[in-house]
Amino acid sequence: MLIVTLQRAKCIGCNYCEELCPELFRMSKKDGKSVLLNSIDRKGFHTLHSNHEYFDAAENAKNACPVKIISVKMT
Amino acid sequence: MEKRKVELMAPAGNWESLQAAINAGADSVYFGIDQLNMRARASMNFTPDDLPEIAVRCNKANVKTYLTLNTIIYDHDLSVIKTLVNAAKDSGISAIIASDQAVINYAASQDVEVHISTQLNITNIETVKFYSHFADVMVLSRELSLNQIKKIVDQIKKEEVRGPSGELIQIEIFGHGALCVAVSGKCYMSLHTNNSSANRGACVQNCRRTYTVIDKETGDELDIDNEYIMSPKDLCTVDFLDQVVDTGITVLKIEGRGRAPEYVKTVIETYRSALDSLEEGTYTQEKIEHWMEQLNTVYNRGFWSGYYLGQKLGEFHNASGSKATQKKVYLGKGVHYFPRVAVGEFKIEAQHLKVNDTILITGPTTGVYEQVVEEMMVDEKRVEVAKKGDNVTFPVNTRIRNSDKIYKIVKNED
Repeated sequence: MLIVTLQRAKCIGCNYCEELCPELFRMSKKDGKSVLLNSIDRKGFHTLHSNHEYFDAAENAKNACPVKIISVKMT
Repeated sequence: MEKRKVELMAPAGNWESLQAAINAGADSVYFGIDQLNMRARASMNFTPDDLPEIAVRCNKANVKTYLTLNTIIYDHDLSVIKTLVNAAKDSGISAIIASDQAVINYAASQDVEVHISTQLNITNIETVKFYSHFADVMVLSRELSLNQIKKIVDQIKKEEVRGPSGELIQIEIFGHGALCVAVSGKCYMSLHTNNSSANRGACVQNCRRTYTVIDKETGDELDIDNEYIMSPKDLCTVDFLDQVVDTGITVLKIEGRGRAPEYVKTVIETYRSALDSLEEGTYTQEKIEHWMEQLNTVYNRGFWSGYYLGQKLGEFHNASGSKATQKKVYLGKGVHYFPRVAVGEFKIEAQHLKVNDTILITGPTTGVYEQVVEEMMVDEKRVEVAKKGDNVTFPVNTRIRNSDKIYKIVKNED
């Protein structure tokens, strides 16, 4: 299982995550910050349990994030 | 109030700095909201919900309010900028500082006053004319000389270049603060090394570090006298402010939304005093020396005159971090204020406080206050020293609040 977390309040809206992992990330037109699709928000930490096939793309997004607010784990 | 010749514009990264700027005599403040400004990384930005109170607080003090919306803008930001411009308009914010044409165009279409950001690097009169269709105030590029600035100002008057308000275009320049090694707004270093775009307000300031240059063919490391070859000293104009004002500029902007509130207090008080002295005709060498001393007490990388007095190479920073002669050390927080006797109670959580120490009290409503502690009490007894864990009371010059923090000012030994 792939677990991705986004601490979205700190997002600066650079668009890298959507660019590298469009399956999981989308820029919000409402506040210009990244949205981790289908994630659950717990106190600002948005977490998604997903299929492992997106691991590489999610890792790329994590590494590209300039404000380091994405974490990616495989269980 | 009679209109001042030159407007002094202060940075406000948070409520403490905003209040400090008002108290120190700023004519206007600029601040960012959320991520679409040049200090997006700072956790100190305001939120849209803060706009009404910013406007109310500043209007009451007769201080103008400018919202910075000056990053580059992507498609996914377009509806956000509309929301922010509308919110600024509804709250009564005085103007928007913008660089992207999407922001400029939208704000102008909503009859919101637009100021052109330094990110657009205006360096000539034709560009001023171009943006005069949208904006009344324009910041000139930090890389111009005073002669070039004066020519642009003179040409605006000669050709009567007017903005949407019908008034002549006002020219603003930076008076004090950090300078970039790159032409402002055109640096990609942070983006290349950290994926973190300076032009989205996320500069990691890696130009401020030391670097070694290696000849790849021979492997020789080049010996560079000054290790911080990409870190310019900070701009300071207080010692030639007469020449700056003589160019005909009408707004003097102080850089530093990422700086601490006491920085804003000290720098704004200093430039307020300098501008007032110029108007009164009492701008003297003696005062300049005092002002320089004041400015040296807060964060700085050493000072130089920027590019205003012509090209002058080699003015790079030669040490890591700040050259400030003073620093603040955290002591604790405000607990209670006794208004009848004007006494404040503080909880000491770190270090200790001694009689005759100079302290700083900062808070979102209080702003920044500095004073010397002449006497103090712990447990209703007069003491010379208050230690960690003590609740200490002493007379204060201002109302204090439990949202306030207390620091002591010490000499910077580094």
